[in-house]
Order: sequence, then C-alpha cells, then structure tokens
Amino acid sequence: MQFGVFTVGDVTVDPTTGREPTEHERIKAMATIALKAEEVGLDVFATGEHHNPPFVPSSPTTMLGWIAARTERLLLSTSTTLITTNDPVKIAEDYAMLQHLADGRVDLMMGRGNTGPVYPWFGQDIRNGIPLAIENYDLLRRLWREEVVNWQGRFRTPLQSFTSTPRPLDGVPPFVWHGSIRSPEIAEQAAYYGDGFFANHIFWLKEHTQRMVGLYRQRFEHYGHGSADQAVVGLGGQVFMRKNSQDAVREFRPYFDNAPVYGHGPSLEEFTAQTPLTVGSPQQVIDRTLGFRDYVGDYQRQLFLVDHAGLPLKTVLEQLDILGEEVVPVLRKEFDSLRPAHVPEAPTHASLRAAASGDLVDAEAGR
Amino acid sequence: MSRRTLAVVSAGLSQPSSTRLLADQLAAATRDELVRRGESVKLRPVELREHAHDVVNHLLTGFPSAALREVLDTVTGADGLIAVTPIFNASYNGLFKSFFDLVDSAALVDRPVLIGATGGTARHSLALEHALRPMFAYLHAVVTPTAVFAAPEDWSGGVADGALRARITRAGAELADQVHRRSPSTGPADPFALTTTFEEMLGRQDS
Repeated sequence: MQFGVFTVGDVTVDPTTGREPTEHERIKAMATIALKAEEVGLDVFATGEHHNPPFVPSSPTTMLGWIAARTERLLLSTSTTLITTNDPVKIAEDYAMLQHLADGRVDLMMGRGNTGPVYPWFGQDIRNGIPLAIENYDLLRRLWREEVVNWQGRFRTPLQSFTSTPRPLDGVPPFVWHGSIRSPEIAEQAAYYGDGFFANHIFWLKEHTQRMVGLYRQRFEHYGHGSADQAVVGLGGQVFMRKNSQDAVREFRPYFDNAPVYGHGPSLEEFTAQTPLTVGSPQQVIDRTLGFRDYVGDYQRQLFLVDHAGLPLKTVLEQLDILGEEVVPVLRKEFDSLRPAHVPEAPTHASLRAAASGDLVDAEAGR
Repeated sequence: MSRRTLAVVSAGLSQPSSTRLLADQLAAATRDELVRRGESVKLRPVELREHAHDVVNHLLTGFPSAALREVLDTVTGADGLIAVTPIFNASYNGLFKSFFDLVDSAALVDRPVLIGATGGTARHSLALEHALRPMFAYLHAVVTPTAVFAAPEDWSGGVADGALRARITRAGAELADQVHRRSPSTGPADPFALTTTFEEMLGRQDS
C-alpha cells in the first residue's frame, strides 16, 4: 500500500500569528514538504493545480521536476490535474517529459476544478465540466498510446498526423487516477478504462464515499478489468497529531475554526465525527485510518492533507515526522496483513512495464 | 389504497409556534381529504429550527450532516409537501430560504406543494404570492392555487368557525387532489444513478 501527502497549495494567514506567507515562502515550503516526505519514508507527494489566488501551484510539472531531481524513491503525483481547462496535448507532453526525468516515478490524478471563473480564462465553460473531462481524457490516452493521432472532437481544434513527444517512458503511459467528490460519471469513467479512482473523502460523510467507491468497484468489474475488490482505490485523509490528543485538539482548533473551506461552520468535534478528519494521538490516527477499510474495502493509496489552513512549515514537518516514524509503518504492516493475495498493489511504472512486456511475450507466443 | 407521505416543513422560530400550528392544521386537512379518498397517509413533520445549525454548516461546507441528509430525503421523497414560514421583512425568513437552497433544483419537479405563512399583520399576506410561490415555481413544483396566510386576528377570531378554517380546508383538499392523481413517490432521487452509458458520454455509437 502507498502512503503519502497531498497539498492544495493555498496561501493562508496563520490565524495564531496573523502572518501570511509570501508566495515564494509557500512554494519553497511545498518543495521542502515533498523532500521531507521521502526522508521520512512516505511513498507519494501530490500537488494540486490552481490558476487563481490564494493558490500557488499553477505549474505542477515545474515543481514536480524540481522535486524529482532531488529525490530517489518518491512517487510524484497530482491532486488534481485539470483535465477540463488544460489542453490534453500539453498534459501528454508535460507529464511524459516529467516521466523521463523522474525515471518513471510519476502518476496523475485527473480532476475537473470547481471554480467557475477559471474555465473562461482558458476558453471553457464550467457547465461543460463532465463532457470536457470525458473528451479530453480520451484524447490524452490516445496521445500516449498511439504514435500518430488523427482526432476530431467537440472542444479542441482537430489533430492531423500529430505525434506527442516525448513518447511515454518505455512506451508505458503514467498510471492515472480519477478524482471526484460527488460525480458518479467520474467513477464510471475510471471504471471504464480500468484506471484508479481517488475519493477525496475529506469533504463528505463516509456513507457518501462508500457509495462512490462501491459504484466504481462494481463498474470496474462490469467492464472486465477484474473483480470489484481488485479495483484500484485511493482515499484522502486529514490529520493533526500530537503525542497527547488534548494538545493536538488545542493546537489545531484555531486553524480548523478559520480554515478557508470549512471554517466558521461546524465545530471541530462535529467535523471529526462526520468526516475522516482526525485530530489526536498517532494511535488515534492509526485506528481511524484502518477503519476506512471497513467501508471502502482493501485499497491501494492513502494520501493525507497536512499543510493547509495556514499551518506553519515547522509544524507540518513535525507532522510528517510523526507520520513517518509512528503512523505509516504500523498502517503499512496492518493493511498488508489484512489484504488478500488477489488484491493488487497500485500500479507503478515498473509493474506496468512488466505487464506490458508480459503481454508482448504472450502475443508472440501465441503467434 | 396506497400509502402516501406528506412532508410538513415549518420554519417557525418560537416555541410554541403559530407557524407550526398552521402547518399542522394544513397537514390534518390534507390527510383527512386523502383518507376520504381511500388513501393511507403518513405525516412527516420537519421543524427547521432543530436543524438550523446543520443548515448553515451545509451551506458553508457543501455537504449535509447525516441528520440533515435524512431531512432532505424526507422532503424530496414525499408525495406532497406543506411548507410554512413566518414572514420577515416582507418575505420568507432566512431559515426557510436557506433550507430550500439546499434542495437540488430538480428534486421537487412536479411535486404537489401547499404553501402557508404567518405574520404579525395581514398586510404581509401577499408575500406568499410574490416570494414563496415564485420560488417553488422555479423548482417546477406544482403549487396549489390556494395559499394560506394566518394573521393574529385569524387565530383570535375562533379558528374553528372562521375564514381561516375554510381556507385551510380548501387548500388541504387542493393538495390532496394533486397528490391523489399522481402515482406514489418512489422516494428521493439516487445521486449515484447514471442516466447515460459511457459510450454515449464519449459521443460514440456502440462499436
């Protein structure tokens, strides 16, 4: 099982000091968090993509390329890549280039983006969100899999004899997850292609996540990619830990109460009861996270949100230390011992390459 | 005989509330008429006051608590809806509007609705026609021709014999008639239901 962190990349005032980091500080902090993730033994760093303040990560492959050069094992991913407003041709090129530079340590999570005004800045309309996600992603897949693409669609200028360069590393496109909070169409899309499905998880009741993941698993089986319990599932999570759980609650509360997304709404207690947010001791985080398996089944990737709402970098790095030292080793062991043998790990470049050459051997043997 | 559910939403803020009193009387009148027509009726009262914090939390976070989800399902899954609010500043109160802002815009299409209101003076009565009725028209609900407003003098004038009683009975009969002529509700819409195949979404014919 893979464990990691995902970041939104928000620039938010620290409510306890009133200080807002500069964009430069925030960008460097994100990079530092990524390096720390590898140092403490996490598997994945995923960055959001945004094109409006107060967010900084508008250029994910620039950031991930920098991180790739300074890491050895860390898998670089996105949370999410905007499949609606980005040109699929540019996504194909940028992430293939990143894949080469990172020696295959790359996958992506597709998302639509929920900010209406962003769409027209890129010539699109939020009301076409789902059709854009579907058409653009289908083209992206072809660009990575077919040497020469002739294509015509509804949203993008047609392509005649187009070859996306560089070609994916070893001819193996990056693995793709599809992220969604509430759209069954996206679970269907992930199932149709046999791609991964990532449930945001942190902004809805667990019953909702259970239904979405259940739908994806059922449709994954329907499309013949394997049994429902072999579908590739990722979950978001949100934690704040201190040795003593009362200290964690006391320290995190002002960040929670003023957080841009849910601040001034439900109490910390209500939100922790309703969503996966866990504020407490490392053991509480371990117990809660293991419990996710009870309603989504055995899953392949767990990403935690740890660096938002104005939390200072020093605090975030302490959280990563706790995750790496006390939480993830236990979760890794427990989840691995619970998972049946026929349930696969999340695909990686190495496993996809091996599968592709196996297919080739099978095909040659059959001839 | 079929079994019908009536959701009875009251946005009254005080307790006891004259808004709730009106809602209950409208519900009883509707139920009596449905029973007379051979239907069995289950009333599902919803006091929005009890869910006020959850309503605001949902507006801010984008998702409902489990308790509020149940209430929304009750309202969108009922055969008929009775919606009653006190009139504040010439319109429905904020709690009433905030609650209905959380109802999906397609959830009440063709749903029979009876609207009612209470106020400190009869001069508020047309708020039913210029505020509540347009909101439900936007939601494509079927609002009964009679809407019922109760002013202080309606209560003091002796409800049983007064004009208010007659309006309640007429409005209840209108709602019962709309409910009766429809097939029983199949419950709230499934948010996870897909209406098209993926091939259709891709814009391809079956290949």
